[in-house]
Amino acid sequence: MKGSRGQLHIKDGLLHDASDLSFLLTAAHELKSPLALIRQLALSLETMQGLPASEQERMLRQITLTSERALRLTTDLMRSSRLEDSLFELEPLNPRQICEDVAHELAPLYKAKNREIRVAARPRPILVVANRELLRRILLNFGDNALHYTDQAPVELKVQMLGAKNTIRMGVRDFGPAVPADLWQRLQSNLGTGAQTLHARPQSSGLGLFVAGQFASAMSGRIGATRHRDGATFYVDLMASSQLSLL
Amino acid sequence: MTKTPYVLIVEDDEWLAEQYIRTLGEAGIRAEFVPHALAAIDSVDAKLPDALVIDLLLAGPNAFALLHELRSHADLAAIPVILCTASADQIAKEDIEAYGVKQVLDKASMVPQDLIAAIKRILL
Repeated sequence: MKGSRGQLHIKDGLLHDASDLSFLLTAAHELKSPLALIRQLALSLETMQGLPASEQERMLRQITLTSERALRLTTDLMRSSRLEDSLFELEPLNPRQICEDVAHELAPLYKAKNREIRVAARPRPILVVANRELLRRILLNFGDNALHYTDQAPVELKVQMLGAKNTIRMGVRDFGPAVPADLWQRLQSNLGTGAQTLHARPQSSGLGLFVAGQFASAMSGRIGATRHRDGATFYVDLMASSQLSLL
Repeated sequence: MTKTPYVLIVEDDEWLAEQYIRTLGEAGIRAEFVPHALAAIDSVDAKLPDALVIDLLLAGPNAFALLHELRSHADLAAIPVILCTASADQIAKEDIEAYGVKQVLDKASMVPQDLIAAIKRILL
């Protein structure tokens, strides 16, 4: 039982080919990082004497936020594995509102890491054809990824109408060390098509981007990335709705 | 009066880095962290650490790129290194010995005291 590229398929308790195994290894690796952090924090809370109350509260908050991040990943994995069996309702959505929702949802995690996420202003309203939940999850993945690779400047969610006027690009711009050219090339050639650990961006690029690619594909869209001197933009391209132009 | 050891942590998860700093602080070891290899080079240039604790997979150039760079400078090549990684089981000893790596700690199974013990083993 093998479906579209790299999706996790287990039948009778067995994995069925090498790409499934690779996917499983990547998923396991990426879940290991947040779990390792939670464990370290919990061990310290158990054993360290005399930690100030404020420090204990901070560590507990970190445990909560890190657990939520790991749970987001597992939820996405489960949803990704069921994509083929599901029908997703596509509707005209306000992309700026979706960006606002995502920024709002990620704000506590960003705040806890002394970072900022914001939505870039856009002069004219536009609508995108998408499934609200899948689009939200794509942008949450990009936003989570950006948090790990941005130094100080605010991460920015941006909506653009592309030249042909029938495609809307929703991107997340981060600011951090540039990805080396060879690794970037590898990322570009595999983006969204296979679970991978991109060593220059180890925390969530591989699996998070793979899941985002699956979700975009389910909405007849695609994901991509642009490399900047001081970071990167990860984006999803989706069909624009003509509803506003009919008014 | 003995000098307080100074450890530089290169770790892109700042909460984990804070945790290492907290742990080492309990043992009287002063530590600071930087989030990537480029910042590590700057930091080492500004102040020579007694030991480095490095995560293998970093944003931008990875730990091996950093270790290569350190090895290419006579005054930096002798800094002892501890690798702290979630991929400890994938690292071959012969691949890292030449880089001055004294110990590899597995993030998934280590306890806070392991880090203290590893630092004390190479410094004291």
